[in-house]
Amino acid sequence: MAGTALSRPNPLSRGNLRALLYLSPWLAGFAIFFVYPLVSTVYFSFQRYDLFTLEPVGLLNWEYFLKDQAAWTAIRNTLWLVVVMVPLRVLFGLGVAQLVTRLKAGAGVYRTIFYLPALVPLVAGTLGFVFLLNPGTGPVQAILSAVGLPAPDWFGDPAWSKWGLTLLGLWSVGDLMVIFMAALLDVPKQLYEAAAIDGANGWRQFTSITLPVIRPVLMFALVTGVIQTLQYFTQAEVAARVASGATDSAGSVFTPGYPDQSTLTFPQWLFQQGFRDYAMGYACVLALMLFAVAMVFTLILLRQFRGLGEEDV
Amino acid sequence: MKRLLFLSAALSIGAELAALTACTAGTESGPPKMAQSGASHEPVTIEFWHGFSADNELKAFDETLAGFRKKFPWITVKPTKAVQDGQILQSVRGGNPPDVALSFTTDSVAEFCKAGIFQDLNPYLKASGIDPASLFPKVIAEYTQYQGKRCVMPMLADAYGLYYNKTLMQGHQPPKTMSELADLAKKLTVKDDKGDIKVAGFVPTSQMYENAPIHTGVMVGAKWTNPDGTSAIGSDPQWKKLMTWQKELTDWYGYDRLEKFRKSFGDEWSAENPFNTGKVAMAVDGEWRTAMLAADAPDLDYGTAPLPVADDQPQRYGAGFIAGTVIGIPRGAKHAEAAWELVRYLTTDTGSLVTLSNAIRNVPSTLPALQSPDLKKDPNFQTFLDVFANPDSTTLPAHVNSVFNQQTLQEAQIKWESGRASDLDALLAEVDKKIDEKLKLTAGG
Amino acid sequence: MTRRSVVRRGTVLLWVARHALAIALALMFLGPLVFIALTALMSDRQALTSDLWPHTWNWGNFAEIFEKAPLLTWIRNTLLYSVLATAFMLVSSIPVAYALARFRFRGRRLAFLLVITTMMLPPQVVAVPIYLIWARFHLTGTLWPLILPMLLGDAFSIFLLRQFLVTIPREYSDAAKVDGCGEFRTLVRVILPMARPAIAAVALFQFFYCWNDYYGPLLYAGTDLDSWTLSLGLAAFRSVHRVQWNLTMAATLLAMAPVIIVFFFAQKVFIEGVKLTGVK
Repeated sequence: MAGTALSRPNPLSRGNLRALLYLSPWLAGFAIFFVYPLVSTVYFSFQRYDLFTLEPVGLLNWEYFLKDQAAWTAIRNTLWLVVVMVPLRVLFGLGVAQLVTRLKAGAGVYRTIFYLPALVPLVAGTLGFVFLLNPGTGPVQAILSAVGLPAPDWFGDPAWSKWGLTLLGLWSVGDLMVIFMAALLDVPKQLYEAAAIDGANGWRQFTSITLPVIRPVLMFALVTGVIQTLQYFTQAEVAARVASGATDSAGSVFTPGYPDQSTLTFPQWLFQQGFRDYAMGYACVLALMLFAVAMVFTLILLRQFRGLGEEDV
Repeated sequence: MKRLLFLSAALSIGAELAALTACTAGTESGPPKMAQSGASHEPVTIEFWHGFSADNELKAFDETLAGFRKKFPWITVKPTKAVQDGQILQSVRGGNPPDVALSFTTDSVAEFCKAGIFQDLNPYLKASGIDPASLFPKVIAEYTQYQGKRCVMPMLADAYGLYYNKTLMQGHQPPKTMSELADLAKKLTVKDDKGDIKVAGFVPTSQMYENAPIHTGVMVGAKWTNPDGTSAIGSDPQWKKLMTWQKELTDWYGYDRLEKFRKSFGDEWSAENPFNTGKVAMAVDGEWRTAMLAADAPDLDYGTAPLPVADDQPQRYGAGFIAGTVIGIPRGAKHAEAAWELVRYLTTDTGSLVTLSNAIRNVPSTLPALQSPDLKKDPNFQTFLDVFANPDSTTLPAHVNSVFNQQTLQEAQIKWESGRASDLDALLAEVDKKIDEKLKLTAGG
Repeated sequence: MTRRSVVRRGTVLLWVARHALAIALALMFLGPLVFIALTALMSDRQALTSDLWPHTWNWGNFAEIFEKAPLLTWIRNTLLYSVLATAFMLVSSIPVAYALARFRFRGRRLAFLLVITTMMLPPQVVAVPIYLIWARFHLTGTLWPLILPMLLGDAFSIFLLRQFLVTIPREYSDAAKVDGCGEFRTLVRVILPMARPAIAAVALFQFFYCWNDYYGPLLYAGTDLDSWTLSLGLAAFRSVHRVQWNLTMAATLLAMAPVIIVFFFAQKVFIEGVKLTGVK
């Protein structure tokens, strides 16, 4: 019975029409919220548009992109997070998962505790973290200097602010932990037993048995981590706002990326340009850049799915 | 399916182009129809966004609105507090504006007028028989219009000066020059045995509450922009003078220690403001602080003085930064006529202006209100009336990218005072470049 | 000493080491939450010092935040957004996921790949034109631009549901068809009950995504204080409402509470759902 629908050449077959019916909400959504915006983003990237007046400006927006230092700073910051935070989260998540799967007593309790921070609303978690690391009021600086370690002004020093965000990311590593735990439990126990008899130690077991089995999951976690990081917005925005002590009073203007644009991520700059400065055309240039980069990683991810969707056809 | 997608894409593009030719968000209204006095009035509700958020100010402002309700019983005002300029801009551009909006800064007036965020009020003024030239002081007339359009009206004005805590001053007189300020600041600072600051004489960094460059720039008479809108910051040596002075004093404290101290301050508009609680001896602030001190720290013994000036400009002592609260009718407002009644009442009614000024201690913004015998004058508030009347006092020149320009300079200032940038000339040249490029992006040329 | 007891001793040491590490990690994961809770109970002035333990226990802080800020409005808006978006998402996404998992049709593979692509696309990429659409309908300043699109399916939920639905053996639906059920009735009668865990998981994910969302409300509802959600209110809490850290932390705790409570009741659903997001 397999393949009967596909073998029929008629595109308007009952099967295809029925599928179309079921898919129609998503198809409409895809057209309205994906295809159309993408096309008009290209169009707007050649316009000056502040939501009131539209004026074609040729390549002006694209030229400005080349000269816009903040945009390049934002790219560098986003890259930093991709290169440092994403792998650290994956490693930490894997480590915690390894630990929890090996605990015989209390594994459930630990799993709950370790997963909990992943559920905390981003804004709430960020607020808590900034205050926790705030010099003068937070305990972390006091503890660090009490034991004689350097006590940086985490979110107030550009050399440390991204590390502060990384700490926040590690704290909410629970989702990765759960995925890795599931993958680790999938590794057949007999393999370990066989390896133990052969005298393979922990590290050898990990590289020769665990790693090959969980490789796809690891790859998946890395790529989705990268894509999530390309959208990194809330934590950086809230942390900068709170850490700068901006009071929204007359004359004190909040600049995203505090301190020294060190937490300015690409989506933040796009948002700033489009919805704070109303340089909509320029925001579209930035959007297309983001699209290009996100697509590269999406394609890598899609390779993982090659073969999926066909298995029962 | 591919064909279907292509088709829907093509259709949406068509719709897009058709819609673009129409106006997107609200339209400029025609000449106003003025209500005939004595005619019957339909009840109407208008939305009013304002920025007041401190408790004492909210209370006083509610009373003012109650006065309006008595005079115009058919107009119900629905106020929303703590609104920022960004929200006003986005709501008008998004086509969902309030009927009346109030902004605490004059930063965005050029943008408000040029992009048509607010309606030009000149026709309303004419229809109501109001002559702004004889009603408002000259400096106020300046900051409420841009290229001939008066798109906002002034509702009370602000002047900036130096507050000093008399107890902490230990008998010293308020400083008149920047050197005096620095010397005194060092003398009055108290540190604990670990070297942490307990009381600061004066916090010099630009990140301190009211130390934004628009306010402190007046201490040296620094210039923001050239007549063509390009940046004058890098070429004006006064900025360098100010920032060098700030850096010197910052380094005396140690930037890290100063930041640690600053980050233990309570919110500026709450009772825990560091000047209220005696954590700083001297601070730059606006005239409204006198009312807040009366409400939140009635026992504090303090005085006010004009801002100290550069050592080589003693003749400018007495000048300060002036700006004010502005109020207008956004484009796309649903009840422009009733909105105008509210704007007119809040900005021209002498009684209401004086009452509000006495309550929240802002400088009245009309000549009759300034001269009113009902205006309460105590020495601390008088300082600000004098600053306001000083011919050397300045406001920020209107500029379409005013907010961006301030952000850019302030970012540079933070970089500089923290010691993360060492070449001040290069830093300010960079500021010039950013401002000029941005001008090209937003304004053409 | 026999070889056996050496091994035993090694395992005991290992056991101790693992649990010591686990306890240390647990303290690190819980530490910030405890600190937030302690700060929430401090007085205004103490919250500005580095003291950790509240000098006085100010339970009144939790009442005070309701007076200082329109928390009830924020909670109502957040609930409106979360509940409607979740309901709409389920109605629109389940049929799509079912079709992708079960139907054989031309372009099925492409459709699935496109779902993954839209799922991965940063929302900021298409933000400008979509904002303009909603501005044209005068819906900016409300939460509707975040709720209504859920009627047209949500890529992430479709993906997750589809991943689960393909694991349901075909025999079940075939049996239903033999009994004379049409495709739609098969979906409602046979597949949906079997897919309950997956549906519960996507619903919870969607709900919490909305509950925690900051970017979306900032873009659309940021201008109108009547439409603010908890996330927006929380981010601006300290500066707009002129309060100190203690009240901010009290509000933070309040925003976390429902999430944590629901998690304790629905822990299994969550964990199973998260596992689904990983590829097998």
